[in-house]
Amino acid sequence: MRAHGTLSDIPEAGATDHVCWVYENDEAFDRAVAEFIAGGLERGERLLCVGERVIESLRGVHLPAQDVATLVAAGALETQTLAEAYAAAGTFRPMGQLAYYEAATRRALAEGYRGLRVLAEVSALAADPATRPELIRWEHVADDFIARNGGFTVMCAYSGTLPQEALSDIAAVHPFVHTPDGVPPFRIFFDDDRIVLAGSVDSFSADRLAHVLAASPIGAAGAVLDVSLLEFADVAGCRALALWARGLADRSLPVEVRGASPLFRRMWDVLALSEYAAVGFEEAAA
Amino acid sequence: MTTLQEFPDLDEAGFEHEALFYRGDDGFLAGLLPFVREGLERDESVVVAEPRPRLEQLRDALGDDAASVDFLDMAEIGQNPARIIGVWARTLQEHTDAGRRLRGVGEPAFVGRREAELVECRLHELLLNHAFDGGPAWRLLCPYDEDHLPRSVTRGARHTHPVTTTVAGRRPSVEYAGGGVLDALAAPLAPPTDAVLRGTYGPADIPATRRTVAQYARKVGLSEEQVEVLELAASELATNSVRHGGGAGTVAMWVEQGAAVVEFSDSGRVTDPLAGRLMPSLEQTGGRGVYLVNQLCDLVQLRSSDHGTVVRVLTWL
Repeated sequence: MRAHGTLSDIPEAGATDHVCWVYENDEAFDRAVAEFIAGGLERGERLLCVGERVIESLRGVHLPAQDVATLVAAGALETQTLAEAYAAAGTFRPMGQLAYYEAATRRALAEGYRGLRVLAEVSALAADPATRPELIRWEHVADDFIARNGGFTVMCAYSGTLPQEALSDIAAVHPFVHTPDGVPPFRIFFDDDRIVLAGSVDSFSADRLAHVLAASPIGAAGAVLDVSLLEFADVAGCRALALWARGLADRSLPVEVRGASPLFRRMWDVLALSEYAAVGFEEAAA
Repeated sequence: MTTLQEFPDLDEAGFEHEALFYRGDDGFLAGLLPFVREGLERDESVVVAEPRPRLEQLRDALGDDAASVDFLDMAEIGQNPARIIGVWARTLQEHTDAGRRLRGVGEPAFVGRREAELVECRLHELLLNHAFDGGPAWRLLCPYDEDHLPRSVTRGARHTHPVTTTVAGRRPSVEYAGGGVLDALAAPLAPPTDAVLRGTYGPADIPATRRTVAQYARKVGLSEEQVEVLELAASELATNSVRHGGGAGTVAMWVEQGAAVVEFSDSGRVTDPLAGRLMPSLEQTGGRGVYLVNQLCDLVQLRSSDHGTVVRVLTWL
């Protein structure tokens, strides 16, 4: 399975991952920026830094070999304010963002880089309840792209001062999460052709799961949901999954659930959820 | 020898809930065989829920007729008596939809049951009337072993069944107290006899509460499967307290003879006496928590009154 988990340090250079980095203060943020960029340079990746807060941090960053101005001049590092990022990728819509980053990754590879490494600080989008749902959808769609394509590494930095609700929403759609205050109840991410659900889903987080799943990109062959990392699910969690599966079934898209625990299967049977939504249960792939 | 065929139908229109008091194997068969055969002769759907030894006895005695009878193991479907109404409700629905009248035999209070189970059997028997009175017509005969069950149990059956049959005959029970459902639901449970671990929880404490319960369950030696079930039960019941029971609750845990007990209390009131006993409709958003707990746990005792609600979950050691 794709690498995932909770982080205390920036992942080592070489990882092509999707990291949610919640920083507790400016110093921690600056340190994270420096380490993440240094990792990209070490790997020979093109760097794209998005958001005013990252740009500000770059002014004081100390990189091992080259300074920021040289990197910018060489085309190895690009910066975009949030407004510029919107202008580049169109209005903040997941598919528009995806098309932009797909092209940018292809370009970076074509120009001899080992990939595109993006560092974005978009706390403002997470703070605004009007833009947060689209941001979550974008993070989820981006994760599918990252899982399927090598060469695109992203660290999404968010301020620890955001409301807990916003941080939980954001953290839930990243395979790697660093938060100063504990771990999110669940995480949902892509692994090849599978959607992986990890952690715990209960009555208080089931709506969040439903919203994320509703945004999941599903191919014509249907969805494979891997719950082998699901530590706990209650009735509300199972019902959210059943509702999602029924929505897909209505669009003639089958759902296969892998790695379900005996208790999960038992709960599904007892609640007669198979009458609600036809789901195929398979053992977890080795 | 008494046979049911000798007695007139007391009520052909509605739900007939009848206790049969028998003595010994012969008395069991003498009471059951005519009831079952009469159902088959009338082309009714006959479903018998008995513990396995009684099932085998009845099956042998029925001979070829056994093929026309559905047999259910009461020890399995009714391990927790709060599951049985759901089974009868599904069975009734299925046979009514097929245009056939149902005739059932159910012995929930079979010999060998633990004391707490027998207490719940009595509540279950009372709630059967609440669940099926006014619905489609069907008959349910509940055998009680007068030789081996405690007298309090057989006496209780006279309060919970509108009709009783003994060697002396089949007649309405003058002691029947079908209107006592709310009182029965409000009756306090026996207090714990041993040391109790107690804690409180609020909206932010559900994960911590379930983890605490899981930890306790491991500590008292339950299997990992039992631990997981209790953890799930804890989450559902504590969530109910937070959502419907005044926003907070108390969890108490103790071990008593033969059982690990986890009990959830809050200030809410359960208004539906059948809460958790019937499968919620697929479209219904809530109401699944207690139903699931009833299905997964060994014994669940729910009591509710103006003073609050208590759900006690017992896991046999």
